[in-house]
Amino acid sequence: MENKFVFVKADASASEHIAAPKYSYWKSVFRKFFSSKIVIVMLFIAASIMLFSFIQPLFSDYDPSVKPNINDQSLKYIQPCLEYPFGTDNVGTNMFDAIWASTGNSLSIALIATAITTVLGVIVGAFWGFSKKMDVIMIEIYNIIANIPFTLIVMVLMYVIGRGKWQLIFALSCTSWLSTAYFIRVQVMIIRDREYNLASKCLGTPITKIITRNIMPYLTSVIVTSVARDVPSFISYEVFLSYIGIGLDESEPSLGRMVQNYVQYMQTPNASYLFWIPVFLCALISISLYIVGQALADASDPRTHMI
Amino acid sequence: MKKYVFWRVVRAIIAVFVVTSIAILMVFTMIPKDKIFQQDTAQMQKLAGKPDDMTNYKYSKWKQLGYLDYQRQAEMCNSASDNYKACMATTYTTYVDEYGYEQKEYSYSEEAEKVFGAYEAKGYTINYFLSGEAYAVKEYNGLEIIFNFYKNLIVVDNPWQVQDPDNPDLERSVYFGTDANGVPALMCSGCEHNYLIYFDSNFPFVHQNIVSMNFGLSYPTYSGEQTLGVINSNQGSLVSKEQKFPNGSSGTSPNNFHTCTYKMTSTLDHMDKQKFDDNYANCNSYYSDPSMVTTSYTFGVISLILAYAIALPAGIAMARNKGKWQDKLGIVYVNIMISLPSLAFIYFLKMIGFQFGMPDKFPVLGYGNIKSYILPIIILALLSTAQVIIWIRRYMVDQSNADYVKFARAKGLSQKEIFRKHILKNAIIPIVNGIPQSIILCISGSVITETVFAIPGMGKMLPDSIKAFNNNMVITLTFIFTALSIFSILIGDILMTVVDPRIQLTAKGGD
Repeated sequence: MENKFVFVKADASASEHIAAPKYSYWKSVFRKFFSSKIVIVMLFIAASIMLFSFIQPLFSDYDPSVKPNINDQSLKYIQPCLEYPFGTDNVGTNMFDAIWASTGNSLSIALIATAITTVLGVIVGAFWGFSKKMDVIMIEIYNIIANIPFTLIVMVLMYVIGRGKWQLIFALSCTSWLSTAYFIRVQVMIIRDREYNLASKCLGTPITKIITRNIMPYLTSVIVTSVARDVPSFISYEVFLSYIGIGLDESEPSLGRMVQNYVQYMQTPNASYLFWIPVFLCALISISLYIVGQALADASDPRTHMI
Repeated sequence: MKKYVFWRVVRAIIAVFVVTSIAILMVFTMIPKDKIFQQDTAQMQKLAGKPDDMTNYKYSKWKQLGYLDYQRQAEMCNSASDNYKACMATTYTTYVDEYGYEQKEYSYSEEAEKVFGAYEAKGYTINYFLSGEAYAVKEYNGLEIIFNFYKNLIVVDNPWQVQDPDNPDLERSVYFGTDANGVPALMCSGCEHNYLIYFDSNFPFVHQNIVSMNFGLSYPTYSGEQTLGVINSNQGSLVSKEQKFPNGSSGTSPNNFHTCTYKMTSTLDHMDKQKFDDNYANCNSYYSDPSMVTTSYTFGVISLILAYAIALPAGIAMARNKGKWQDKLGIVYVNIMISLPSLAFIYFLKMIGFQFGMPDKFPVLGYGNIKSYILPIIILALLSTAQVIIWIRRYMVDQSNADYVKFARAKGLSQKEIFRKHILKNAIIPIVNGIPQSIILCISGSVITETVFAIPGMGKMLPDSIKAFNNNMVITLTFIFTALSIFSILIGDILMTVVDPRIQLTAKGGD
C-alpha cells in the first residue's frame, strides 16, 4: 500500500499569524475619503484651482505695477470672451492673468501660514502636553493671547511691521500657532495617560519615542482638522486685510486687493464681472478646501474605519 | 469662589496691561516716527518752504504724542539759567561759502553754552535751527514711553488742577450748586471741569467728570481731540437748542454746558464773555448723531438678538431631527458660513438687498431712516449664527444620549417635552457662557461690516486709524478691545456658575 500522506513540517511563522482582517491605515483613509461623490467633486475643483493658480502665472508674467495697455482704448472693459476669459479692466489688464496670479499669491500665503502654524503648534503642543513645568508658563501666555480678538492682533501687527507678503504671513502665524498648540496639548493630555502609554513608559521607552510613535499617529486626524480649518480662514483673513487696506501693498497681487480694487464696479452693469469673478473664486476655493479638509479629517480618524 | 474671582481679576488686569504695554512698545519703537505726518498733508504743504517751522512743528507734535522731550532755547534758558537775557544772546558773523552764497555762522554766549552743556549731560542732543536758535531733543526709550503712558492714564480732577498765571485769584473749592436750569449738581472751581457730578436727560442720566482716562491726543485724524472723546462723543452736525447760559442770559447755542472745562484767561474772547461769567467756557456741543460706541452697540445688540432668535430654534430643530433632511440642510448652511470668507458673504447679501431697494452704504440715508439699518443688521446676525447653531446642536446631541434622557423617555415623556424641559436646560449652559462676551464685544463693532457699509462706528475706527498712522488711537482701541474681551470672558464664567450651581470654577483637592 503506497503511503500518499506526506509529513508536513511545523511552520513556525504560521502560529504567529493572527486571524484578523487585513488593515492598512492609509488604504482605509483613502477608501473612506473617496467614498463620497461630493468630496471627489470638491477635491477636483480645489486641485484644479490650485494647479492653475500656481502654473498659469509662470507663463503670464503678470506684474500689477506694470500696465502696458493703459493707453489702448480698445482693450478697456472687454467683457469675458474666448480671448479674454475673465475680460479686461479699466487699464486694459488681462483679468485672466491678474486673477490667477492673485489666487496663487493668496493661496501660497494661506498655505505657508498654515504650515508654520501647524508645525510649530504640533511640536510645541506635544511637549506642552507632557511637561508640567512648561504647562505653568504656557497656560498663562495662552490665557492672555487667546482672550484678545485675533483680528486685533493681526491688525496691530500688520500696522507695526508694515505691509507685504512675508509680513502678512508673520502676522497670521505669530499667535495662531498657540491655539493649535493648545488644541494638541489637550489631546496629548488625554492620550498620554492611557494604559498602553503607561505600559510603554514602564518598559522604558524614551518620551520622544512615545510622542512620535504612540501619540502622533493618533493625532493625525486632529491635525488634519486644524489644517482644514486654518487654510480657508487664512485665505479669509488675507482677503479681509487687503480689502481694508492693511494687508498686501500695491506691488503684490492678491484676491483681497482684487476685491478692493474692483468693488466700485459691483453695480456697474457692463463691468460687474470685474468684482464678482474674484469674489466668486475666493468663495469657491474656501468652500472646496474646507469640505475636502473636513472629509480628510473624518477619513483619517481610525475610529471611522471599523465598519 | 471670592478668592478665585479676585485672582482672576488681578490676572485680567495684568494681562490687559501686558498687552497694552507690548502694543505701546511696538507702535512707538517699530513704526518710523516720520510716518505719522503722512496723512497730515495740509500742514506739510503749508510748511514745505519753511524748514525751521517744519522742524518745530514736527518736534512739537512728537512731544505732544509722547515720543520725546523737546525744548527750544527760550525754554532751556528759562529753566536752567539765572540770566535769561545773556543765555538768549546770539551773535553771528557772515562769510561767503565756496558756492558764492552768504552764510551766517552763529556763536552763542558763555551762559548759553553752559545751559547746553547741562542739557547734554541730562541726555539731550542740542541742535540748531537755520535761524540760529538752538533746541534740545531727548528721545524716550521704550520703558520711558510706557511709564509716561500709565503715569498720565488716570486723571482725577481736583480743585488744584488748573494753573492759570493770568487768574491768580481763582477760587479753589468743591461745592453743591445748581446748573443753569436749576438742577442740583456737584460743582467745582479750580478743577478742569465745572461740573463734577450732574444730572440730565441723556442716558445714563447721572454723569461724572471726576475720574477720567487720558489716552493722549488723536493725530493726524481728529487732530487735537482726546482719543477717548473721539469714539465717545456724538457725531454729525451741530444741534442748536434754546437754553439758558451760565451767566443767566438765554439764547440758542449748541453747547452742552455741563461739559465745560477751564479756558485759560489769555484765550478767552468776547464771544465767551456773552455766555459765561467765569473761565469755564470750553464746552462740548450737542450733535445730531450718536457716537461711534453707541452706533456699534446699537447694531451689535440688535443683530445679536436676531442671531440667537434664528440660531437657537435652528440648532434645536437640527438636534431633534438628527440625520434627517433638516439636519443635513443645516450642516450645509453651517459649513458654507464657516468656510465662506465673510467679505464674499457680505457682498452677496448686499447685492440681494440692493435688488430690494436697500441703500448700499449707511450714510446714503443716514441715522434717521430705518432702511439704513436693515441690511447690516441681517448680515451681522447671519454671520454669527453658524457658531451658535453648531454648538447648540452639538451640546443637545451629546445630552440626548445621557441617562436622564433615557429615564425621562422610559417615564413616557414626549420627545418634545424631553427636548424643551430637560435637554435644552442642560445644553444652554455652555451657550450662556458666551453671551456676555457677545454682548460686550458688540461695542467693538464689526470691522468688516462697518467698513463695507461705511458705518461710522468703532469697528471701522481701527483700520482707519491704522491707515492714518494714528498711534494713540490704535493703542486706545487695543486697550479697550483687550480689556473688554478679557473681562467679558470672566463675566461669562461667573454667569455660568450662577446658571448651573454644579459648576465650580475653583479646582477641588482631587483635581
